[in-house]
Amino acid sequence: MQSTMQKYFSLKRENFRYGLQKAKKMKMCYLFLAPYAILFITFFILPIVTSIYYSFTYYNILEPARFIGVQNYINLILQDEVFLTAVKNTFVIAVITGPIGYILSFLFAWFINELPRWLRTIAVVVFYAPSIAGNAYYIFSIIFRGDAYGYLNSFLMQFGLINAPILWLLDPRYILPVIIIVTLWMSMGTGFLSCVAGLQGVDRSLYEAGYVDGIRNRWQELYYITLPAMKPMLLFSAVMSITTAFNVCDVPRALAGYPSTDYAARTIVTHLFDYGFSRFEMGYASAIATVLFVVMILCNKVIQSALRKVGT
Amino acid sequence: MSKKRKHVQHIEQPKSHSRADMLHYQAMLRGEFQVEKKFNRKRFAIIALVVMALLAALLIFANLRLDYTEQANIDAERFIAENGDKALEDLNNTSSVWMLCRVIGIAGMILWGLFSLIQLLQPKRRKPNRSFWGDLGIYIMLTLVAVAMVFPLVFSVASSLKPLDELFRFPPKVFPDHPTFDNFSDLIVTMSQSWVPFSRYLINTVLITALGTFGHVFIASMAAFVLAKYDFPGGRTFFSIVVTALMFSGYVTGIPNYVIMSRLGMIDTYWAILLPAFAAPIGLFLMKQFMEGLPTALIEAAHLDGAGEMRIFWSIIMPNVKPAWLTIIILSVQSLWNTSAATVIYSEEKKTLVYALQQIQLGGVARTGQAAAVTVVVMLVPITLFILSQSRMLETMASSGLKD
Repeated sequence: MQSTMQKYFSLKRENFRYGLQKAKKMKMCYLFLAPYAILFITFFILPIVTSIYYSFTYYNILEPARFIGVQNYINLILQDEVFLTAVKNTFVIAVITGPIGYILSFLFAWFINELPRWLRTIAVVVFYAPSIAGNAYYIFSIIFRGDAYGYLNSFLMQFGLINAPILWLLDPRYILPVIIIVTLWMSMGTGFLSCVAGLQGVDRSLYEAGYVDGIRNRWQELYYITLPAMKPMLLFSAVMSITTAFNVCDVPRALAGYPSTDYAARTIVTHLFDYGFSRFEMGYASAIATVLFVVMILCNKVIQSALRKVGT
Repeated sequence: MSKKRKHVQHIEQPKSHSRADMLHYQAMLRGEFQVEKKFNRKRFAIIALVVMALLAALLIFANLRLDYTEQANIDAERFIAENGDKALEDLNNTSSVWMLCRVIGIAGMILWGLFSLIQLLQPKRRKPNRSFWGDLGIYIMLTLVAVAMVFPLVFSVASSLKPLDELFRFPPKVFPDHPTFDNFSDLIVTMSQSWVPFSRYLINTVLITALGTFGHVFIASMAAFVLAKYDFPGGRTFFSIVVTALMFSGYVTGIPNYVIMSRLGMIDTYWAILLPAFAAPIGLFLMKQFMEGLPTALIEAAHLDGAGEMRIFWSIIMPNVKPAWLTIIILSVQSLWNTSAATVIYSEEKKTLVYALQQIQLGGVARTGQAAAVTVVVMLVPITLFILSQSRMLETMASSGLKD
């Protein structure tokens, strides 16, 4: 036992010394990396660490942080009913828009891949534009407006489907579906571009080989050739769609109001906003952020391991 | 039968007796790889019918007369009937723009129908493993979804061109009868009355966007260069952390970032926007993946010729990754252009254009027209940039995959 431990530690030490030597030789690498690394650690890693730290404290910016243990988490889960609503809403939105948005980005990238070049360009612009159009989702507040002037209401009334205008953005029954639709509309972002580009890079000879080996329709071709060849892009695209699916915040705030009727459009991020920037309970808000962060990482791990199995 | 025989091509003998070659040969004999095919009249007729039906549906839809007899309430019926008459009147004296839009729509449909016809009926261009009905279904679906995607954008442009009376009409119309630029000129009037001169907001945004993008490209490429081309302790770990950081949105890090900024004394300065933008993970990620595609021999040759690392980076690597530059410039401009940064900047004269525009947009019912104009102004810049650079961008994205 003793000797094994000794061996292990001497090996570790040796490895470390070797690494140090190598690092000394490669000093210039660290010099190149330094500006980015410093900024990145300060503004991306440090915030996560401080966020985890503050989540165990009571902190309102004016007074110094007071350590209160896991009280924030206990309150969050056992007492905060609005948070549970927020979690439920976020999961509904994420479970619907995440996979559907992801599948749609890939599927449409795949569909437009066979169009001629000029048409493909137009299609890429058409599908990608909503996600970069700034706050163009405001237009949905006119489309879904609650009175008879709203486009959807007047359209439905013209055809006699409804008798009175529906309060799309105020009635708790309709808020969530509307937000899901708008989020889906905006979901073809960077991941979609990555898929389009990846499809163009798949080796053509693979398809011919597949044809000779007995692939008979486009779905078999998709599953056995295209998807495995696209795996890196799919992984990247998954990361992007998880990010957008869990961070739905601007759309519900702009469309359903803040706070929304009966908290029907409250998501984890709007809850975080509420506590962080309206009530200044930073400790509590940090606990929310930590929960969201952990959930996102877990989701990412699950999806990445699932995607590795595709086509094999 | 004789006609059929004409089209049979000469089939070469298989090159070897391997399984793949023999199967290929058999497929050729069965005629599955035959490139030429007879014109299929039945198929043509079916597609023509489908396209005609679609166009007819469109025309019927465009000329739809409004029918309100279903209404139960007599008062409501009378009220709507009056308005319906007005709408009918409007339909009868449609302006030239509305006509033009309709003509463009129909012409587009016809062009699209023709295109799918050509695409479907030319066996030369069709690939193996593609069934005709599948292609047809995909084209129809693509058209429908593309229309759904583009409709809100077209709609926001159209409503920014509407005069005030048309913004609040019942029943509402998508395209304005009398398009004007009033909303835009109103917007300029509102802007000129603001407490801070509007040019200041514009300069702020341009400054932030330009500086942030430049710094981001430079710093991120430097880091990407060593991460992609050298194997040094800690490099891989660092990169995997950056990949995880792709998921951090501004919301999760918002609060601690504020605290850190205030400790560093950077609240209410541009640094609070610029420094996090310099370190955006997506830029480093794309740059590194693209640089990995460059041949290592390039760097070794430069080393042999006695070039220093900085020189290699600046005069060998950077000129070779121009598409990646452009991509991360675009992504960075998009995000910086859209930052309102209301939490870290509170002096009015330091706020960004988008923030000021959003304040106008939140002005309520009286500003509906201007709000639509604002939406158009805000979305115009990123979309134009994307259209101009999309081929380069796709080139970079081809290497964006996450390898495990």
